[in-house]
Amino acid sequence: MTSPGPWASTAVLSADDLARCAERLAAARPALAAIPDERLLAAWNRTVEAFLDPRSPERRAIQGDLVRSTGLSPAGLEAGLESVLGGVRVGIRGRPVEELFAEARALREGEQGRIAGAAESPGAGAEPGEPEGTETDSTDGFALVVLASNLPALAVQPLVAALAARRPVLLKSPTAEPVFAAAFVRALAERLPALGGAVAAVTWPGGDAEREAPVLARATVVVAYGGDEALADLAARARTLRGDRGTRFVPYGPKTSLAVVGRDVPPGAPLDAVAAGLARDVALFDQRGCLSVAAVYVEEDGPADPPAGEAPGTGSAPTGVGEHRRSRALADALARELRALARRWPPGPIGAAEAAAVQQMRAEAELRGLYRPPLALREGTVVVEPDSGFQATPGLRTVPIHPLPAPLDGACLTEILTPWRDRLQGVALAGFGGVGSGTRAEALTPALAALGVSRITPPGALQSPDARWHNGGVEPLAVFL
Amino acid sequence: MEGLESAATTVAADLVERIRRFVRAAGAGTPGDSIATPDAGCDTFDTLVREAFAYQVSHIAPVRALAAARGIGPDDVHTWRDVPAVPALAYKSQDLLPDDVDPARVLTFRSSGTLSRTGSRAAAGGTTGTLPGEARRSVHRHPFPSLYRETIDAAFPGSCLPRRSGLHTSSPGAEGSPGADRSPGAEPALSDAVPMLSLIPARADVPDSSLSFMVNHVLERWGAAGSATVLGPAGLNADAAAAWVRAAGGPGNSAGPTGPVDRTGGEPPRPCLVLATGLALAGWLERLEEADTVCPLPPGSVVFETGGSKGRSHALGRAELLAAVARRLAVPPERVVREYGMTELTSQLYTRVLTGGDPDLFMPPPWVRVHVLDPETLDEAAPGTLGLVAIFDLANLGSAVHLLTEDLGVLEEGGLRLAGRARGAALRGCSLTAEEMMAPR
Repeated sequence: MTSPGPWASTAVLSADDLARCAERLAAARPALAAIPDERLLAAWNRTVEAFLDPRSPERRAIQGDLVRSTGLSPAGLEAGLESVLGGVRVGIRGRPVEELFAEARALREGEQGRIAGAAESPGAGAEPGEPEGTETDSTDGFALVVLASNLPALAVQPLVAALAARRPVLLKSPTAEPVFAAAFVRALAERLPALGGAVAAVTWPGGDAEREAPVLARATVVVAYGGDEALADLAARARTLRGDRGTRFVPYGPKTSLAVVGRDVPPGAPLDAVAAGLARDVALFDQRGCLSVAAVYVEEDGPADPPAGEAPGTGSAPTGVGEHRRSRALADALARELRALARRWPPGPIGAAEAAAVQQMRAEAELRGLYRPPLALREGTVVVEPDSGFQATPGLRTVPIHPLPAPLDGACLTEILTPWRDRLQGVALAGFGGVGSGTRAEALTPALAALGVSRITPPGALQSPDARWHNGGVEPLAVFL
Repeated sequence: MEGLESAATTVAADLVERIRRFVRAAGAGTPGDSIATPDAGCDTFDTLVREAFAYQVSHIAPVRALAAARGIGPDDVHTWRDVPAVPALAYKSQDLLPDDVDPARVLTFRSSGTLSRTGSRAAAGGTTGTLPGEARRSVHRHPFPSLYRETIDAAFPGSCLPRRSGLHTSSPGAEGSPGADRSPGAEPALSDAVPMLSLIPARADVPDSSLSFMVNHVLERWGAAGSATVLGPAGLNADAAAAWVRAAGGPGNSAGPTGPVDRTGGEPPRPCLVLATGLALAGWLERLEEADTVCPLPPGSVVFETGGSKGRSHALGRAELLAAVARRLAVPPERVVREYGMTELTSQLYTRVLTGGDPDLFMPPPWVRVHVLDPETLDEAAPGTLGLVAIFDLANLGSAVHLLTEDLGVLEEGGLRLAGRARGAALRGCSLTAEEMMAPR
């Protein structure tokens, strides 16, 4: 028997089309469950590798559309795809994809195991992240995944988990970027036709209640990326349409990330290495991801009062604790790295509205006499900001560096970041004695986990999560099983 | 409030007075880079530019710091363009009040929005970070209210007030300009007073609103007896608005002499002025639409519409709003005046629609200059191209005469066409909407 091809379309579907698509997916779980892991993993890996290869027909077919829709430069897109797809390759260190499939198989086969959602961090003590909503007939049916448009290839993270859990899945692409998910699903099904009835990637205008009704009425799991208002609206409609049958609703709302650099980073090459990693965490995806670093907190050498008036960005060597010596040194190094990255990964077209916001910030810094290493707007903006309050970034690779007095501990970060609890996604951490038992880093992680941080890595690795990442503290298999 | 003027020192008071004279004499002239001395007793614009900058460098620390960072002193300023532009963001973080005025005797204006939270982290300089989704408010402590009023007196009537005939001419200095039938600053004759209906909260309700300050002044100076404010802490009183319009005697209304707008028997109804933010106006019109009723204003009436609702928007698009104004209030689009102003400035820009001007082109008064800067380089943008709006307002002596706004626009024929605002810092991680992605670049 020939398997049907996947619903994979960049055209906007009608409510009738979506109803037929939902009906097919709702019945597809047994067939999907019958596919052996080995075949699924092999098809998955070949597809991922194809999309990682800029010369492959699959990549070439969507390259232009992706550059236009993501607003990234071609090189920035390339780096972004490497970051996202690199984490879901088969055979990489730690074998996260294979582990995900093995654990899902064990659970499906009835082995008891508690799927704990915990922060992906050394010794993290986070509570398990539990999907919202009632749990009724979610053992059957399909998952609807509503994607956002600011990151390319975001679809692969939920898709790999859904396949491991053998949950048929409907990927709803944003109308602004309908290309990647459809192309990926189509390519996957070409390599493994048995998947055709169990995966779909289509698009329609989000929030169109009439069009979405047949899908929400049948989806047993809804995973959605979006703003708070859109998520609340979607959740309410899913609850209404599902009634007593229940829906597992997993929202991924707006989040942001930061970096914390301790005193254990000596000047010179180690500091430069930290700066290089941070620059990557800032510049990747042009700072639009939830794992993009929006601010850096630096532990100074001792209690420090802010200097009365610092000279504006002259690049002169900083001196003394009271002048934020470490912060200024890191600012200089980070500026150098951002300048270099702007050549390697140029930013996409600069929007006037974003530029306006950053120019305001720059001029205000100048007026306040804050230290700002010289950078062209398109290279980024680094400011040593004595005010320790955290703020979302205006974008364009803009990073305030906040000096904090030593010793920098969890209580200090908690005090500063508590207003942002549950809006924080990741922390790039350096200079706290490395990762391991008994280090200062270990002492910081409970506080960060309590703030909702779900990912702690060294600088440079923050934006490259693998398939086991507990996005938002939620275990990926717990979403789909 | 009049006593507040004594907040100024002798030096400031002298400069304020000279700028007031310039504003009064310039009236509603034509903007340009170099205007002639409007009156033999007045300083030139460029002279006042230099002196205003020198005053601010001497007495306003953040301006002094910015000038020092740019290496610009008063002697380096030859035209208004030479004055460093202070970012609007500075009104959210810095005290821009001159050090030679009495801080207890100034007006304090705040922009709409939510207050930032101030934390207690002191060791590293304190924390004033905002909460997710929060916007910090601008604070403009204004030491020279007489100057503020002078700019209103000089610019508002010619751009916004309906004339008794309901007609305006396009010739500055003729009918419709402040100097045509009354000398600027003079009390209007009772017969010149205009019935006004305000959908802008009274100053008593929002004492920190610069818009309410301005509208309060307009009502006091030109409002006819019976003029009313129908928007208060409880929201819009639509019934009161409808009753007021009926009394104003528009088409189909049978107003009696005892109505809120005082008319003596036999007189034709006087053209009215409705003052509103776009948000309030849209809210009123939506209620009229829902009730399927009309509130026709007398012929020649004018609707004055301003922003005043940063961060919030109404469902009506511009064309829909104008159509609804025509349908429900009987005021045609060519009698809907728009204002562009902000808490951080003293002067306002208006469309000159009543004299046949472009309905979306904001024209600066003669003591104000506007330019548009390339968003990436901050160099002057080529005419007709989108950029950041910077405004030089001579009347903004008490904080920053040259302001880099957060607005985007295009300069056309000496006027400004707005095209959006800076995209503020926002959480967008993995959740950027399609609409945001499609926003103009």
